[in-house]
Amino acid sequence: MRTHVLKLEELLTLIKADLLTESIQTEISGCYISDLLSDVLAHAQPAVLWVTVQTHHNVISVAATKDLAAVLFTCDRTPEPSIVVEAEEQGIALLRTSLTTFEAAGKLWEAGLR
Amino acid sequence: MNTAPAIEQTVGAGDARKVSVAQVLIYELRVRDAMSTPPITAGPDDTLRTIQLVMKAHRFSGVPITKDEALVGIVTIEDIINALDKDHISDPAERWMRRNVVTLRDHFSLVRAVAEFERHGFGRFPVLDTSGRLVGIITRSDVTSCLMRELERRADEALAREAELVAAQATGGRSDRVVVLRTQVKTGDYDGAGKVSQRLRQILRIRGIDPDTRRRAAIVTYEAETNIIIHSIGGEITVKILPEKVEIDAVDGGPGIDNIEQAMQEGWSTAGRLPQELGFGAGMGLPNIKRCSDKLEIASDAGRGTRLHSEILIKKAGTTP
Repeated sequence: MRTHVLKLEELLTLIKADLLTESIQTEISGCYISDLLSDVLAHAQPAVLWVTVQTHHNVISVAATKDLAAVLFTCDRTPEPSIVVEAEEQGIALLRTSLTTFEAAGKLWEAGLR
Repeated sequence: MNTAPAIEQTVGAGDARKVSVAQVLIYELRVRDAMSTPPITAGPDDTLRTIQLVMKAHRFSGVPITKDEALVGIVTIEDIINALDKDHISDPAERWMRRNVVTLRDHFSLVRAVAEFERHGFGRFPVLDTSGRLVGIITRSDVTSCLMRELERRADEALAREAELVAAQATGGRSDRVVVLRTQVKTGDYDGAGKVSQRLRQILRIRGIDPDTRRRAAIVTYEAETNIIIHSIGGEITVKILPEKVEIDAVDGGPGIDNIEQAMQEGWSTAGRLPQELGFGAGMGLPNIKRCSDKLEIASDAGRGTRLHSEILIKKAGTTP
């Protein structure tokens, strides 16, 4: 299987996303989509992009626990400033797009993320 | 989460993209953290001359006037200058004090205090507690020094953590010291979740434990912690880091699990609406804990509490990547 790695900058243009955190250099090796925290804890692979509409503090805890690379908030959901700082401390990039989760997923798949 | 009062959100909503540590601190710190206390006050019968001497002695630019512990007015340096100019410095404060005093409450965030300073252009605000009692005075420089103190404290903490890390690396990242992390977990404290597991991951990383073991230990701790937050009346998490394993004990005060077998099934959850909206209650907490543990014991009596004991074995040094 062809595994595709996306750079964060490529991702931003692809899904018309804003980067909420300070520029964290990172590469995305895959993607997991869920709004249930335990589901992410159970199934997400390390270094992937997590797509969700949840924006609270526990999202960062879960992302850090699983060593995820980045979190994408869809439907223009925006976290509180303190959450952004927490993510920066943990080295996790936060992104925001006005696309729905479905639309974002489609674009990520087309770009070769598997 | 949107628990902050409305004014704090409008102040912060403009640019969520770049936030400095100081900006976060002014949201977290309260007026009561920064104010000077106890407040130096004068009575309505004191003369402006007396108040001028109080100001001179303490280098204040404003003195609140109280009667029977209630704030009735304020005399500022401008009032004193006027009194000297117009020759009524020997009058009682009551005659010339300002009566419509703008106050702050002690539980307001500093971001709100800063906004009020901007809005009114005052140099100080008397601070009232929730029952309306005068408890302190806050000035712009109180806000600045409070921020500086807190930044210094955080910087010290960061340096101490760094020193710990360097010391651990000097000993080859291996340590035989047993570390015990114990934390009270409050019911409904969704914002507090994850602190123990974060600290645990940090220590395991410093010790050079492999990522898989680190993640499994953190997942068990995090799920056990959120279980207490969501389902119990509160409890305690104890994480013991030994050279050969991590032991996690989660004990809560009830109400206990009716049917453990059912609770161990994926998808089964009794979480209420709020936790579900936050993305908890997937019915995967206990199954996740089971999958990640090398040894797991759960004892629960309906009506009493639940005791969970999990062990994660640490692979021998040398097999770590």
